[in-house]
Amino acid sequence: MWLTEETAYTPQEMIVVAGARTLEDNKVVFVGTGLPMIATVLARRTHAPGLIPVFEAGAVGPTLETGLPFSVGDSRTSSSASYTKGLNTAFELTQRGFCDFGFVGGAEIDPFGNLNSTMMGKFPEEYQKPRVRLPGSGGASDMAASCERTILIMPHEKRRFNEKLSYITSPGFLDGAPDARKRAGLLGRGPYRVITTKAVLDFDESTRRMRLIHTMPGETVESVQAATGFELLVSPAVSEFDPPTETELRLIREQIDPLGFFVKKPVKPQPMPNQF
Amino acid sequence: MTNHSGLYQFSTSNPDSAGMVWTGLNPDEAREALVRKDKSKRDKRSSLKEAVDTFIKDGDNVAVGGFVNIRQPIAVTHEMIRHGFKDLILSFQSGGMAIDYLGGAMALAPDHFSFKRVELAYWAHESFGLSSIFRHLAENGLIEMEDWSNYNMSARFKAGAMGLTFIPCRSPLGSDILKQCRAKVAECPFTGHPIVLLPASNPDVAVIHVQAADPYGNCIIRGTDATCPEMAMAAAHTIVTCEQLVSHELITRFPKEITIPFFAVDAVVHVPFGAYPSSCRRHYYFNKDHIASFHALAGLLRKGNPGGLKAYYEDYIFGNHTFQDFIDRFPVRKLLEEQLSELENFERLA
Repeated sequence: MWLTEETAYTPQEMIVVAGARTLEDNKVVFVGTGLPMIATVLARRTHAPGLIPVFEAGAVGPTLETGLPFSVGDSRTSSSASYTKGLNTAFELTQRGFCDFGFVGGAEIDPFGNLNSTMMGKFPEEYQKPRVRLPGSGGASDMAASCERTILIMPHEKRRFNEKLSYITSPGFLDGAPDARKRAGLLGRGPYRVITTKAVLDFDESTRRMRLIHTMPGETVESVQAATGFELLVSPAVSEFDPPTETELRLIREQIDPLGFFVKKPVKPQPMPNQF
Repeated sequence: MTNHSGLYQFSTSNPDSAGMVWTGLNPDEAREALVRKDKSKRDKRSSLKEAVDTFIKDGDNVAVGGFVNIRQPIAVTHEMIRHGFKDLILSFQSGGMAIDYLGGAMALAPDHFSFKRVELAYWAHESFGLSSIFRHLAENGLIEMEDWSNYNMSARFKAGAMGLTFIPCRSPLGSDILKQCRAKVAECPFTGHPIVLLPASNPDVAVIHVQAADPYGNCIIRGTDATCPEMAMAAAHTIVTCEQLVSHELITRFPKEITIPFFAVDAVVHVPFGAYPSSCRRHYYFNKDHIASFHALAGLLRKGNPGGLKAYYEDYIFGNHTFQDFIDRFPVRKLLEEQLSELENFERLA
């Protein structure tokens, strides 16, 4: 039984813990349902009690003590919120500069942190009859554009880490050119971390390409590269990420997601850009 | 100014002198519709059937309220399916069960009910999974799509509500979204930096479910407003369904909580559980089981086996004369369960 297992943990729990540790106290995080939300609650209950979640359907700062929401517009995001309006208001907050972090996901990612959650197939030729139709941007592209720093969450599979995407839904560093974001007119600084089932990565300052900084416990630089469809840069200081502590696991399993609705689910075999 | 819109083929393209194809009303028509509208404070209580018969017609651009599976106007969508429509356009930011119901009807009975186009940011179910209905319609080339972001769709309704022709927006610059929609990237005349210009959306009709309304159409929404107030103000006509029909005297004690004013509304239909099986703050939480069973049937349809979904529609929608018949299909115990769940989300004294 996983509930009584004290040392073993799932890849989802590892992602949650890595997400939580990346967040900073007294900052504002634009958050989706699922793993980012658990990461946010975990951060609040450990090192960042002053962390403020914002949901794209409009809720600002709920404590989430009535339970984990299933939707970013869920009633549970409105209870105990300081402010609840609608979608326009939430996205205006990101444009204005109120949102320090944003969690973004997708079905596919490239070396510059661009994400696809719209379609698989040839764009634009097959846009009106795609090989696989994905849900669409939702708010992901808005978050990627205008949150100050974005944390990208991905299941680490070779077919999802591609040099070139079918479609760019959520902009990262675009073509990687210096100032590409600024020239495009984007506000936020762009991708800050990629947290996957196998690694934690950042982006090289001079090339803006994805760079391995931590391997998840049990993984190696080689095993991470083998699961990636493009050449990864590797930080000279690459190290193993610290596994979840007993306290972190206890909080996740006993308090935050006691039914295991999110941490027991496999890390998305299918993409859900708003979610993870 | 970059113009990317050439990529798009509209099924009924009729560009204006500026080369723009407006879906729904163009800004001049939208203004004219409001000038001509009967704005009197009158009793607008109506039945679902009467409201749908009167205010929706073939080819209309219909804005669908709520957000994913929050406060979706399910009762109206069921009535739209029973009525039957051709070549609608659906406009929404993030759609869940309401859009799935409409899409499923089209997949099963395209001669009876169809939409030709969706203007959307997202069609799926967040934690509850992808939409097999969307995949079926899109991957078989049965609908025309125009993707935007959630902010884009929301801001387009806002521009429509503001009586503007467009609204500037910062996202999603650099994305492929801007290569397949009617947005334009322009140079800001004040800073010289790129900015996205989004065309206003003025739908023919908005369908919206709210927590409380009075007979004149003043509405109070609890929890997220989603983009419902903007949709109602942008549309030429608005059909509102409500959990609670309250007196004008009661609702006007809270004028600042009224987010949709009476003169934006054309029909008020009292439909308890009108968003079910999606959720409605202060009233009921999701019926996750029912959403999951619908998804299972939709998944089978996508794989070429429509039998189960067809039986579902016969059973739950076509076979019922009213939405109340649909609600009557659920055990009282189950409805109470969702009400009690919501009471835990929103605790209040009896």
